[in-house]
Formats: sequence, C-alpha cells, structure tokens
Amino acid sequence: MLTRRDLLRGTASGFGYLAFAALANEAAARDARGSTNPLGPKPTHFPAKAKHVIFLSMAGGPSHVDTFDYKPKLQADDGKPFSKSRFGGGKLMASPWKFNKCGDSGLYISELFPELGKQADDICLMHGMHTDIPNHPQAYLQMHCGLFQFPRPSLGSWVLYGLGTENANLPGFVTLSPPVQNGGPANYASSFLPAVYQGTRVGSAGFGRAGGFDGKVSNLTNNRQSTAQQRAQLDYLQSLNRAAADEAASPGVEGLIESYELAFRMQADMPRVLDLSKESKATRERYGITGDDRPGPGGGGGRRGGGTDTFGRQCLVARRLVEAGVRFVELTRDGWDHHRNLREDLAEMCQSVDKPVAALLADLKERGLLKDTLVIFGGEFGRTPYSQGTDGRDHNNKGYTMWMAGGGVKPGLDYGATDEYGYEAVAGKMHVHDWHATVLHLLGLDHEKLTYRHAGRDMRLTDVKGHVVKDVMA
Amino acid sequence: MTPFLHLSTRLGLAGGVLALAFTLPVDAQPPREDKAKEKAGAEFVFRRADANGDGKLSRDEFEKFIERGAAAKGKGKGKGEAIIKQLFDRFDENKDGFLSLDEFKKFAAQRGGGMEKGEKGRPKEEPATNNAAFNDAPTAEQLAFFEKKIRPILVDQCYSCHSETAKSIKAGLKLDTRSATRAGGESGPAIVPGEPDRSLLIKALRSNDDNTRMPPKNRLSDDVIADFAYWVKMGAPDPRTGDGKSAAKAEIDIEKGRQHWSFQPVKDRTPPAVKDANWASNDIDRYVRAAQESKGVKPAPDADERTLLRRVFLDITGLPPTPEDLTAYSSDTDPQKYAKLVDRLLASPQFGERWGRHWLDVARYGESTGKSVNFTYPHAWRFRDYVIQAFNADKPFDQFIREQLAGDLLPAKNELEKAEHAIAAGFLALGTKSLNERNRLQFELDLADEQIDVFSQAFLGITAACARCHDHKFDPIPTRDYYALVGIFRSTETCYGTINSIQARYASPLVPLPNTVPTGTAPLSQNERESLERQLKRLKSELEDQVKKIGEKESFLAANGVRNRIQIQLTESKLAQYEADGTPKRMAMSVREKGRIRDSAIYVRGEPEKPGDIVPRGSLQVITPAMEPIRQGSGRKELADWVASPKNPLTARVYANRVWQHLLGRGIVGTPDNFGVSGQTPSHPELLDHLATWLVGHDWSTKQLIKYVVTSRTYRQSAKFDAGNHEIDPDNILLWRTVPTRLDAEVIRDSMLAVSGKLDPSPAQGSPVAGQSEGYAQQLLREAGRRNSLYESNHRSVYLPAIRDNMPEAMALFDAADPSLVAGERGNTTVPAQSLFLMNSPFVIQQAEATAERLRSMGGSDADRVREAYRLYYGRLPKDQELKAATEFIASYSKNAKPRDAWTAFCQALFGSVEFLFRQ
Repeated sequence: MLTRRDLLRGTASGFGYLAFAALANEAAARDARGSTNPLGPKPTHFPAKAKHVIFLSMAGGPSHVDTFDYKPKLQADDGKPFSKSRFGGGKLMASPWKFNKCGDSGLYISELFPELGKQADDICLMHGMHTDIPNHPQAYLQMHCGLFQFPRPSLGSWVLYGLGTENANLPGFVTLSPPVQNGGPANYASSFLPAVYQGTRVGSAGFGRAGGFDGKVSNLTNNRQSTAQQRAQLDYLQSLNRAAADEAASPGVEGLIESYELAFRMQADMPRVLDLSKESKATRERYGITGDDRPGPGGGGGRRGGGTDTFGRQCLVARRLVEAGVRFVELTRDGWDHHRNLREDLAEMCQSVDKPVAALLADLKERGLLKDTLVIFGGEFGRTPYSQGTDGRDHNNKGYTMWMAGGGVKPGLDYGATDEYGYEAVAGKMHVHDWHATVLHLLGLDHEKLTYRHAGRDMRLTDVKGHVVKDVMA
Repeated sequence: MTPFLHLSTRLGLAGGVLALAFTLPVDAQPPREDKAKEKAGAEFVFRRADANGDGKLSRDEFEKFIERGAAAKGKGKGKGEAIIKQLFDRFDENKDGFLSLDEFKKFAAQRGGGMEKGEKGRPKEEPATNNAAFNDAPTAEQLAFFEKKIRPILVDQCYSCHSETAKSIKAGLKLDTRSATRAGGESGPAIVPGEPDRSLLIKALRSNDDNTRMPPKNRLSDDVIADFAYWVKMGAPDPRTGDGKSAAKAEIDIEKGRQHWSFQPVKDRTPPAVKDANWASNDIDRYVRAAQESKGVKPAPDADERTLLRRVFLDITGLPPTPEDLTAYSSDTDPQKYAKLVDRLLASPQFGERWGRHWLDVARYGESTGKSVNFTYPHAWRFRDYVIQAFNADKPFDQFIREQLAGDLLPAKNELEKAEHAIAAGFLALGTKSLNERNRLQFELDLADEQIDVFSQAFLGITAACARCHDHKFDPIPTRDYYALVGIFRSTETCYGTINSIQARYASPLVPLPNTVPTGTAPLSQNERESLERQLKRLKSELEDQVKKIGEKESFLAANGVRNRIQIQLTESKLAQYEADGTPKRMAMSVREKGRIRDSAIYVRGEPEKPGDIVPRGSLQVITPAMEPIRQGSGRKELADWVASPKNPLTARVYANRVWQHLLGRGIVGTPDNFGVSGQTPSHPELLDHLATWLVGHDWSTKQLIKYVVTSRTYRQSAKFDAGNHEIDPDNILLWRTVPTRLDAEVIRDSMLAVSGKLDPSPAQGSPVAGQSEGYAQQLLREAGRRNSLYESNHRSVYLPAIRDNMPEAMALFDAADPSLVAGERGNTTVPAQSLFLMNSPFVIQQAEATAERLRSMGGSDADRVREAYRLYYGRLPKDQELKAATEFIASYSKNAKPRDAWTAFCQALFGSVEFLFRQ
C-alpha cells in the first residue's frame, strides 16, 4: 500500500508536506540554510526593496476622480453629455471637491484627504490602473487572486509562500475584518497552495456591515493548562492526526495539523501585538482612535461612519503586526460603492480613513519601517466621470487610481494617466496583473518564477500575463 | 412532436385559453433536424396545419391541429373543444370562418401578459392596451422592411425632435426605441397596431395641416407614408430595444441565450454502457464509472462498514452514531441492513434538523434585518421550524417551492394548514433590509430586489438581480425581464414587522396566526409586565420633564432625549408582543397580495429618479416554457407554478445538484447558486439530468433522492488514495474516492454535545429572539449580557439564534453560512483561529469535562474507558497501539495534574482530532 510519504514523493502536486519538501528543496538550492519550515524566511529571486506589505483594501470601488485623479477638463465640462458612457446619455459630473497641489512633489490630491495630502511626497499615484470586469465580485477577486473565473491563491498567500515569514509565532498573512461578500474568504484563501499560506482573519468578518473593529483573536489564552501541559496534549493530539493524515491524503488534514502548531505559537505573541493599550495616548489620537464611531445609538459617525476609530485601530494594529515581523497585512474599509449620495457618503468614507492612513505612513517613516514596508491603497475599480442619477457614479474598470508608498516605490511620483475626463487609462497603463507583477518584484520575487504545480501546470499569480512596471520603482 | 407545441410554449396563449395550455405537451423541444424549419415560425406551423393546402385554416383544421398536439401528450384530448372554439372565434377577425395566415400569426404572436395595468387583476376579455397586437415575432422579411424603409426615415426625419439625443423632446414623443415608439407621447399612443387609419403617427404623416403635419417642414412622399402605413398594419415590427432612455444599446439575443446548457430542457437518457459493469450498483454509478473509464481512472474500494456507518449518520442526521447504533448495525445479518438503516435515519427527526439547515443557508434565514440598523424579527423562528418539519415530512420539493413563493395564495384544508402556508411565505419576508433608507421608493425597490435575488438563486440558480441596472452582463436577462418580476413583488405586500424609530421608518404588519399554533416563548408574567410598565412610565415622565425644560425640538436633538425615545419605543414594542393576559402573540412573517396590483416601471440604471417604460408583470423570457399569463393578483401564484414546473429546465437540476453536493462534497455544478453563463459547467451533465429527472419522477421527494444517492456505490467508496488517479484528476472531479472533508460548524458542535452526553435532542421551542421587541438587536445583545449567553443552549445548533452580523463564534469560525446571503455552498477554511477555539474555548473545554465525567463514571479500567471513548468519538475500537498511546498519555499527564484534568485533556484532544472533525 502506498504510504503518504510515497505519495508525497511520487506525485506532482497536492499536499502540505509536498509543498514543504518542494520549498525546502528550492530554498536549499538558493540558500545554504535549507530550512524545512514552510513558514521560515526564504531567500528572494533578487534583492528585495520591500520586506512587508500593508494593503489598504478599499472595497466597493472608490471614486478616483474625486480623490486622486485630478481632471480640470471634467471640472470645466460639468453637465455635458459623455458619449462613451455605458448606456449612452450619461452626463459628465465635475467633482464636488477641490484638488490641492500637495508637497514638494506637487501631486494633486482632493481636499477629501487633507491629512494624507501632507504625505504626498511619500506616495506614488498610479493613474493607469485597469481591470477586466466592472462588477464587484469579479473585480474584487481579481484584485486579490489575479483571476476570478477559478479559485486561486490570494496575493498575500503567494507572498507568504514566496518569502515565508520572519516571526514563526505569528501568522505570516493577516487580514483584518475582511468583507463577507464578493468572494468572502476566497480573497484570503490559499486555494491550491498549502493551507498554511491562508490569511488569518483578525476581528470579525464584514465589519463594514457590523460596525467596529474589535481587533481581537478570541480564545488566545487557556487558564486551565500550563504551557507544558498544553504542549503535551498537543503532542498527543498531533500524533493521532499524523496517523490519520497518512490515510486521508487530504490538504485539509495537512492544513489542520499545521494550523495547530501556529495556533500554539500564536498564544505567546499575538495578545501582546494586538494590545493597543501599550500605545501612548498621543499615538492613539494620532491614528484617530477616539472611541466609538459606529452609526446607530451611541455612535457618533454618519451613515457610513465618518469616525476614524475603526480604521485607526486597524492601521495601528497593522503597524504593530509588521513591526513584529508579519509579512503581509491586509486591512479592509468597505463602503465605497457610491452609486448615490456621493457628496455625503464619499466625504464620510474619506474622512474615516484619511487621518489613520496618514498617521500610518508617518509613523512607519519615523520608525524606519516605511523603507521596507510597501503600503498599497486602492479598490477593485474606480468610478465613472459621468454621473449616475444626480449624485452618484457608476463602476469604472477602464481607468482608476491606486497608490503605493514605501518599500522601494518612487516617492512623490504621478505615474500614468487616464484620459482628460478620467474615464480610461491612456498612459502608464497598469492592469491588475501588471500591478501584481510589480508588487512581487518589489518584494524580490519574479512573478514568472514564483510558481506552484497544480493540475499539471506551474501556476502563477499573474497566470500568463503581467509586466513589471519599473518606472514606479525608486 | 409538432413544432406548434413548441411554439405554443414559447409564445404562451391568450388569457381565455389558459386551460388548454395546461393540457398541451409543453415539454417538446423540436428534434434537431427541425431547428431550421422551426425558424420559419408561425408560417411553417400554419402550413403544417393547413391540411388541404388552400392557404387558410378551416375551423376543422384548426381543431384537429390543436387536438393533435394535446394527444401527443396522451391527455387533454377532447377536453378543450369549447376553448378551441373560443380561440378560433377570437382570432378569426373578419369572421369569414377561416383563419388566414395573418390571423394565425396574430394568434401565434399573442404572448403572456393579458393583465391590465393598475387594476385589481381582473382578466381581460380583450387586450385593452395596444401592445397585445404589436408584432413581437416579426419574420426576417418584416425586419428587413423596417431596416430598409422605416428606420432611415425615423433617423433622418424624426430623431432631431423625437429621441433621447434631441435637444428638446417634442410632445413627449420619442421614436428612437421600440418601447418609446409604442408608448407614444403626450397625445397618446402613436401607433394602433394593424390600424394605420387610427394611428396618430400615420395621421400626422398624412396631414395637410401645417400645424399638425409631421415632419412640420416637408411632407413626406406618398410612397414613404404608404410604407409607414403598411408597417403599422404589420403590427409595427421593430427590432430596436432599449429602455426608452437610450438609443444605442446592445440587444440581448434571447434565442441565442437559450442555447446555454442549463436553459435547455432536461433530457433523460439511457445510462451509458460501462466496461466495468459489475461495479455499478445503480444508474448513478454507470454515469460516474463511464466518465472515469473515459479518463482511465478507477474507483476506490468500498468503505469499510464502520466508516460508511459514520458517514451516512453524519450526512443524513448531522450526528455521529452512538456505540449502541454501532453494535446493533454490526450484529445485524440482514443483507439489506444498509438500506434499512438509511430508511431509519431518513425517518428520524434529526434528518429535518440537518437538511433543514441546508435549506436555511439557501433561504438566507436570519432573525434580524441586518445592515445598518439591524432590528430583530421575533417571529422568524417559525420559518425555521416550518423548514425542519417540511424536510421531516418529505414535502415534495415543488410543493415546498409553491408554499414559499405563494403560500398565502394556496388553498388550505384547514386553519393549521393555512397558518403553515403563511409561515412558509415568510421566505420572501426574511431578507436583510436597510430600515434607515431615506427614499421610500428606493426601499421598495431594494425589497423587491432582495426577493428576486433570493428566489432566483435559490430555485433557479440564476442571478437575476444583476439585471437591475442594466441588462445582465453574462446571462440573457434583459432589464425588462427583471422589472417584469419587480412588478410581481411590488404588487405583493411584505409583512416583516419591525417598529418605526429614529433610524427606521418602514415598520410593516405581521400576519396573525390561530391560537392552535405554539407560542414559542414563555408568557409575560404579571410581575414582568408591571416592571416593564413602570419602566415605561419612568421613561415617559423623564422625557416629559426634559421637554418641559428645554423644549420639544431641543430634546429631540439631545443625546439623552434620543436615547429616551428609543427606550420608550423598545419597551412599548416588547409589551406589544404579548396579549393582555401575557400570552405571546402568535404572528408570522409572510406576504400577501397588495390591494393595488400594478406593473412596475423600468428604473433606468436602477435609479428611482428615472422611471422608464412600464413593463407587464412576468418572468424571465430565457427560461421556457414561459410563465402562464397572470390571471389575477400579483402573479406570484403563476410565478410559483412556473418555478415549480417539472418542465422548468433549471429548478429540478438546481435542487438535485444541491442534494448531490451535500452528499458528495462537491456539486456536479460547482457553483450551486449560479447555473448561468458565469457559473461553472457541470462535470457530469448527463448524470445531472438523470438526477433531475429521477427527482421529478419520484414526486420531488428529497428523501428518496438522498436514498438513491447514498445507496450508490459512488457514495460508498472509501477515501483510499491512488497516485495514478491523482495524476490524472487531482481535484477528484471524477469521484474516484471520498475526499475527507471537515464537518460543518453545526455538526462539529452537535457532535461534541452528543459525545459529552449533554445534547438535548428535543427541538428548541421558539427562539431567544421571540418575545423581544422588534427594535435594535443591539439592545437584545446588551441585555443578554455577554454576547455568548444568548447562545448557551444544549439544543442542536440549527436552533441557535440567527441574529445577522452576530453569528455565534462556534458557527462563524467554521464557515457557517452568513445569514445575509444566499449560500448554497460554504467556505471550508482551515485557520489557526479554529485551532485556538478547539484548544482554549470554554465551550470545548466544558464538553471535554463532561465527556471525561461520563467516562470516569462508567467504572472499569483506564483501557476500558479509552475503548468507550473511541466508540463514542470515532465509532470504532482503538488498535492496540492507539490504546497504549492513550493510556500512556493519561498516565503521564496525571503526574502533574488531577486524574480528572488528565481525562479532560484526553477528551479535549480527541475533539480536536482529524478523525473526529472530518468526514471520511
């Protein structure tokens, strides 16, 4: 009878241990250390500019023409018909907000981001972004996994697979209150990569609807057992599980075994990292952590929660996680889908993230972390320069803005452009695949070489596409 | 099969001949070779019917033709004489006793509809709107005529004043889309189809009066005017689509869209021949094995007895077998013992709790509105119980559909059945709601949208709600079809309760139930009532004082003034849940017909500010046979019948796929809620059709379908891995083994309770949400103290409260369905947070303690207890080395701990083990 080890040796794809072996071999070839821990740090394909990623995911598709893509012609042509609108008859709608020329770099940033405007010289605006489908579920998945047609590992999973993590006592890929919709867990899933590369969720999912970020991982402590007792118990349990795994030959079973070990180690470090009470009052205030910002009784925020508390907490936790060696941290702010009531709701949304994000950049910089932490800000697509109703904008996949900062990115750069109205990317075009390739490159990974064999193919984050955009690199 | 029959199903029949349509064999898809002929449409059918070839149909020819169609189905023969006569008379417009080709075409072209707008659903004798006689099935020649003679003139001569792009639209008339052209302008409809002389458009063209003639500057030539008159006479065939607001719009090709596999009729084929004939134990296996053989994959050996026993227990009841079950089964010598066991499990009340839960995922069952303000639904639990009971009673799935979509409209034997139907229709009322929406129309449209979303995904596997703002991007669902459905749901009153408050303004009534139904919660004692009334009095007097002090307006703005008002509302709402004597009120969330039945406008791009054409209520054109014309009321009854029809190509497939998925781990279609173009294609299309046919053929019985699947050899395979198979099919699409998968959240929790002996197997009564106010769920959660106290219960997990955005941890962590979404498929994550739960959560530790107690109290040696533990947890006895490892662990742990804690540690470890957490 075929044993599990035979299987792992003899087949081309599948399970955790196989992946460990493959990785270990790959690592050994690149590095004399020859680590066999799948999460141990791995050498890169070439020198990395960034070691960590903080991805600020703005779910819903923020309007670029009201935030980071200044279009004087759109302001001038307010109300004129726009021939390219999807159903004809659309009329251009000027941004209700002013844009300010910010910093020495002179980047135009909307007055909706007064605090971030002060950090303009650290960020690189990428105006030429585009994606395949102007529909949330597909675009949101594509932003995370490259493809939406099939289950694929998330960007964070690929990064963790490629680089390992610096702190084996913490998950290498953490996602803070991810959305429930638009693919939900698929957006932080490891798919065919071993389950150990899956994102670990902190805080309840879908805070955009539930309100508030508790920043907690529950069940982190056990007052019934000493650490030694728990270890002994776990050793017994894992011996049962490994025996079962021999028969099961199932990625889920391998994943469970790995996840126990990580959970055990997390108990030591995680509570400390998540504990924001250790931060000074000044720091907390800087991030906008002020108390409750939930809409509803007791909450002070508007309909979408204009308060900064929720996102401030997430940003501060993100900094602490990165500081502790977590490879990839994702934060979600849901609620940018402004088909209607744009003037009020977009302003509230921007207000809720502006101060925290600005504080995050400044704080990382002061601590010397920004130089090797890549901060990314953006949503699954942008919005149309023409109006939907009298006070809204529709989805726009043809051109939108994301920005990056730190981690080897050229600061204060205005890269790429949409047409005169902000409808379609025309210069420095960057498809999601290109963006993924660029992010991996900044991390020292070649997107064509970072592969995993599945279903007889060497799979990549960028599928068969993607060009590294070197122009945005310092 | 005659093409006519196919045609009739696509076109529908006029109101008066409905009964006939029921008797017609409507399933008939013409054989492939007839496809080309079919294109010739009504003309081809006409020639076939014209027996003597004289170019017209006599009454006799027409009758024979209809009868032939009915006879082909083997029923309805002779029943329809009166109807056929009526039909003939209606369409014989010139009363010459014959149907001419033109008259026949009108008959053929007559589509569904038949209901007047804005009236109380009285069937019409004659089409009152002109639309009925518009030519909606133009021939190629007619369309060519339009393109050549009509469109260029409209564009050149009319669009500058009568189109969306005109600087200003004159007389409210637009001629740039079919719908706008037909709708007409301020002077009324521009066209009376078939009657040029009565058509304003033609009158204007012909006019010699400079003030009324169109175009105003130059009279068109007589030839051109004659062309227009001829066009109107043909019924104004017009291929232009559009929502009436835009001219440049791509047209959805419905006919082409119907070619997608899932819109094609279900075909029952002969199961394929397989080389390995001995392996198959039923037809399912023949389909599966044939696919395996074609790829060179071989099936795994059968699972051993105890593995299969555990699997089938978990799958059917959601609970592991007890040691007694194990003993009884292994000592049973009846060769039919497996089938017997399956019957027993299907008959157990635990079946409904397991399979009802599957349906509650799809029905997005929740006990609060979710979204921004999240108000509770104290009566939602009745729907949960209804679903569980429906599965236990093996209610035929088609009936289950009808009750959920139109229970309020179904005949009922008695008061209790009427109540059951009303509760079932709560399916439409349970959804999420944005109670703080500012725009009332927006709220109404969102409500209809949610209902369309859930029913179309749940029953049809179609994401129809995507067509709200624009034609569906992937599926052939035009916005027009979507708003045809919207009309049905907007003519329906949704009864979901809730109260009006500061942030909520959409309170609705509930439906009262007879006092023969259970109350679901304890009565309000006199003390409780007095306490609540005192509280209310205090709150009111505080508020009065404040108003006196700072004035009404100021108080309304003050924080404590707002809080006070909310508390008053919540307290009043709680009191309102009880009768005067303290008995909880018996109410149901449900739906009922609105007093005012009306069609909905299309809302351009989904915007309430932009109403476009009014569209008649109806269903999705792409799914044939078409819905029966609406005879009265909202059309929900007709909609339910259309969905529940055995001829609907989607319904049985979608449901059979769901059942299959729950038993085999993966659907034949991997996207169970999306059978559209953007969904996955079936891995075994013929097997899917076989299961769908089988389901319908067995009276839509869920239990029988489950039994059919679990007695297949495919289901009974072991998990044995095979490297060769894996090389060919790493994802096990060909079902060459049973892949071990983690148990569902509910099954994990329930199994722990079962092992610890703490499980209360009786159904929970009502819900902790019952008897509460219909206001903020947040308030209830606060009152319940720690969030988890609400969830402390030893009943099965299906009975845990389902407050949206506040899922119990043991559920949320293990990927239970989010109650805000239709969730035919759950995630299957493996994350450290789950491990932490198993290692540290109070719940798991409590169950481990209870199990340890259970083992310790049985006496015997440590080895005896370990053996019992293995039987409880895994349904088997330990191997020698396992026994040794266990006793050694306990002995070693006891060195530094009390024996009780050592046993607890052992029991907890088994809860965390793969063999316990996975279905093998």
